[in-house]
Amino acid sequence: MSLLELDDVHTYYGESHILQGLDLSVEDGEIVALVGRNGVGKTTTLRTALGLTPPRRGTVRFKGEDVTGTEPHTIADSGMGWVPEDRRVFAHLTVAENLRVAAHAAVDPDARLDEAYDLFPALERFADKEAGDLSGGQQQMLAIARGMLGDNDLLLVDEPSEGLAPQIVSDVVEALRAASADTTMVLVEQNFRLAMDLADRFYLVDHGVVVEEGDTAGVTSDDERIRRYLTA
Amino acid sequence: MTGATSVAIGVADPAPLLATGGALDGARTAVRVLVEGLGKAAVYFTIAVGLTLVFGLMGVLNFAHGAVTMVGAYLGGLVLVLVVGSGTGTLATIGLFFVAMAIVFAVATAAGSAIELKLIRPIYDRTPTYQILLTFGVSLIIEEVVRIVLTLRGIQPDPQWQAPMGTIPDVLLGRTDLFGIAVRRLYLFEVLIGGIVLVAVWLFLTRTLYGLYIRAGSEDTEMVQALGIDVRRAFTVVFGVGTGLAAVGGVLLMWDPIWGPSVLLSIDVLLYAFVVVIIGGLGSFRGTVVAAGIVGIADSVTTWLFTTGIVTFSGLSEVTIFLLLVGMLVVRPQGLYGVEEVGGH
Repeated sequence: MSLLELDDVHTYYGESHILQGLDLSVEDGEIVALVGRNGVGKTTTLRTALGLTPPRRGTVRFKGEDVTGTEPHTIADSGMGWVPEDRRVFAHLTVAENLRVAAHAAVDPDARLDEAYDLFPALERFADKEAGDLSGGQQQMLAIARGMLGDNDLLLVDEPSEGLAPQIVSDVVEALRAASADTTMVLVEQNFRLAMDLADRFYLVDHGVVVEEGDTAGVTSDDERIRRYLTA
Repeated sequence: MTGATSVAIGVADPAPLLATGGALDGARTAVRVLVEGLGKAAVYFTIAVGLTLVFGLMGVLNFAHGAVTMVGAYLGGLVLVLVVGSGTGTLATIGLFFVAMAIVFAVATAAGSAIELKLIRPIYDRTPTYQILLTFGVSLIIEEVVRIVLTLRGIQPDPQWQAPMGTIPDVLLGRTDLFGIAVRRLYLFEVLIGGIVLVAVWLFLTRTLYGLYIRAGSEDTEMVQALGIDVRRAFTVVFGVGTGLAAVGGVLLMWDPIWGPSVLLSIDVLLYAFVVVIIGGLGSFRGTVVAAGIVGIADSVTTWLFTTGIVTFSGLSEVTIFLLLVGMLVVRPQGLYGVEEVGGH
């Protein structure tokens, strides 16, 4: 049984048909990358999995349960975390409060915060600082820590390197590697090399469907089957 | 605020007034105006805070807010008129005021939660126009029901129901000497109640889990959902608490001779509550506190200018407050502490 399965999923924004019969599956413990050009439906795939933009047709299964049309908070509570594009930290809440929102269901929220600080020691120094005052890289660390705090089995990570300086990106990559020891991950990433470096498998998405898939080992953007979908 | 006097425009010669007092009198007057401004600010804060909480999390502009305050004024008045007699002592009366406040808060919170569940929840997926029309309709129904009940009971719906004024304990009537300055005791009482409401709401927002959800949800409702929080349940709680606070504002106004229980209180309160939350920034608690202070002080200063005869335009206070609103909308439409987009579901 796969941890996450999307079966012939069709998702729309209004009348715009974004996902046009997308299939994918994610096994327990792996990192799966979704790659493709801008606007092909990668972020929508994550939103569909979490129930934020439910599909009109097709099925979403999480841990073997059909969660199609289920409220996002119920899916999130069942163990699916989200690190969204642009991070979306609560800018006027402190770092600790951002984490506390995510740890709302924990029996001992303080212990969960300590675990997050163990994984991302820099966050503890800024615990009482408003998240909006953090740098982009620090906000990304906070978003990853927040996504993991719900004791999640699956973490959906959207464009973690976007807008970050190269040195900061390598810190974020290390943070994601550390996080992947505890959780399965679906990663949407524009930086193809970074995605292949981090992930075990990949799905190449184009016009709302999966056009290529496989192991990441040895795959480069120079492969003809990849290149024609990544270049405009 | 009802029953505005006729408007006359003119500026009297301020020289004699300024010359008579001297520097000490000037300072005393300034302090007295400041204290009275704080009293008015407490009223403005109390009537606006529920509105801003509801909009901040839910993005719902509750046009029934003023009607709830009006009902709160009548219910609070009813409790006190029924239980306070000629033999009731000062402390007991003030204690009963707090009991009335608690009862009204509980009733209004339950009613607000029911309204959210049964009326507002089904239309979250529609445009904000539907919510405005719905809450405006609820407001009209509440006003007419109150008018019918008052007429049947032989109580005057406008301009004010006077009976609750008779329950004000002597200790709150007249002025008291505060560091050599004569200050109306009722204003001090309003500052006290406004302070209690402010601290209570602040504690709710900063010390409870629901407060944390509200502050997070005011920034990004979808993200809160994605973290596993049932935002719809939080909406019900917040709409209930917001409605309860609106009604508590009514209990505070019940003893205020300027506002007092009347059906027209509904629209007056709504208007001023909107002014405060727009100046402060829709959805911002801090903004509501600061804006209530600004509007209260502006109201107090302009009232002083009129009552001393320096300005003979009776509508000065209202014009100044609404000019503040217009100025804010032109210069900074999101208000002092608001963000450009807030709320949503």
